[in-house]
Amino acid sequence: MTLKTLNLNAFKPVWLLGLIPPVLFLLWWDHEAAKGGANALAFVSLAQVGQALIDMFSSGELALSYGSSLGRALSGLLIGGGIGTLVGIAMGLSKPVEWAASPIYNSFRQVPILGWLPLIGLWFGSGDLSKLIIVALSAFYPTVLYTFEGLKQVEARLLDVGRVYRLNGWQTFWRIQWPAALPSIFTGLFQALAFTWISTIGVELLFSSGAGLGAMMQQAQLQARLDIVLVCILFVGLTGFAINFLIKRLSQHVLSWRSVRA
Amino acid sequence: MKPDLKLILSVSSPLLLLIVWQAVTAFKLFPPEVLVSPTAVVAAFGEVIATGELQRHLSESLTRLAGGFTTGASLGLLFGLALALSKTVEQVFGPTFQALRQIPVLAFIPMLILLLGIDEVFKIVIIAKAAFFPVALAAYDSVKGVPKSYFEVSSLYRAPWWVLISKILIPATIPNILAGVRLSLTRSWLVLVAAELIVADSGLGQMMEMGRQMFRLDIVMVGVIVAGVIGFGLDRLFQLLQAHALRWKTA
Repeated sequence: MTLKTLNLNAFKPVWLLGLIPPVLFLLWWDHEAAKGGANALAFVSLAQVGQALIDMFSSGELALSYGSSLGRALSGLLIGGGIGTLVGIAMGLSKPVEWAASPIYNSFRQVPILGWLPLIGLWFGSGDLSKLIIVALSAFYPTVLYTFEGLKQVEARLLDVGRVYRLNGWQTFWRIQWPAALPSIFTGLFQALAFTWISTIGVELLFSSGAGLGAMMQQAQLQARLDIVLVCILFVGLTGFAINFLIKRLSQHVLSWRSVRA
Repeated sequence: MKPDLKLILSVSSPLLLLIVWQAVTAFKLFPPEVLVSPTAVVAAFGEVIATGELQRHLSESLTRLAGGFTTGASLGLLFGLALALSKTVEQVFGPTFQALRQIPVLAFIPMLILLLGIDEVFKIVIIAKAAFFPVALAAYDSVKGVPKSYFEVSSLYRAPWWVLISKILIPATIPNILAGVRLSLTRSWLVLVAAELIVADSGLGQMMEMGRQMFRLDIVMVGVIVAGVIGFGLDRLFQLLQAHALRWKTA
């Protein structure tokens, strides 16, 4: 998604305008919280949120949950992305595999990812294994698709060059098809990274036993601890931001040579 | 010869999967709580239709989707347009918009439950939020992407603002905006199923979650299949609308 970065001119403090909505919102929020009564149940004061942040930080709870969510997302990316790349390669290189696998792939893909959770939960329980399977699945879909598309779109003239050099099947793949498909494969992996973070939070919300930011939020919700919920949202959001930033940077880096190609 | 092989393979592979599935259950390799046969799933499908359970859950889910999606997508469209067309709106709301966009919608579920309860309002709001961002982003990006020269031509001809909108802005941006709307429809369905699984008081998600808790694997599978078919159907339907709306492009 190409989005023009907002022009924040450092010399004119226009960026201060951008602070108006959040500051107004926070003031309104604190005002509601201060009213007390029924409002106090729904709105927690900012001081309370800050206190929750400090408590969770110093007790090590936050680090534990955060680490476990991040670990789940990354291992899901590794497993789902790895298998997905292999399946995508098989489908991209062999027509019979493509014909046999794509109807199954396309029909499984239609099910909303978290919709698998009740089924996977029946099979593998509501522990870490089920969560990992769903997260890996969310990484699997985009990597298969982009690996496959990448290999399909290798230009015919590049393959002709291979034929001229009498490369065998493996050499053609390794020296020509794989490098040509690499930008697309990376795009798939980047998408998978974003998806695994979202699905990690989703599965942890649904199967809220065990560690994780989603689980922490869900348990806090049951105890009506909005302060903890807000701290978790903050960290989920910051991570989402970091992932998007990383993807943007990495794609500039990894995909930059693509535009040079005539 | 080749196209024949394609047809044979693409029909036979799902069929083979079904046959293996049926065979595995016929030989009772797994207990029925772990794997039920395809015929049992079909029977469960018949059962939930006969009792009217499926129709009830599905109509609840789809009504909810319609409400949340329409609200979210139209607000998103208006917001995205405002953000792109007005420098002031962009400066004031742009950073907040960009920051909120980073947070996965699902992460808002616990907060919204605390603030709004688990009633209809909560579900509509969470779906609307899921639908809002892709449309807003697509509208913002595509209006920003309209070449300056288009505006110059329009001011050269002294075209009034409604002509600018109807003859220039809409044709130039509609393909991207529709793509954003399509994405937001898919997201809305995903978030709806997730919200119904979490809150589990009505709808397709509740049917699946109850099935899970009662170890009714057949009902869970019916739910998975229906969720997939509806998701696919919605996307296809929208694709057709999209093609219809954009038919002038190829003409």
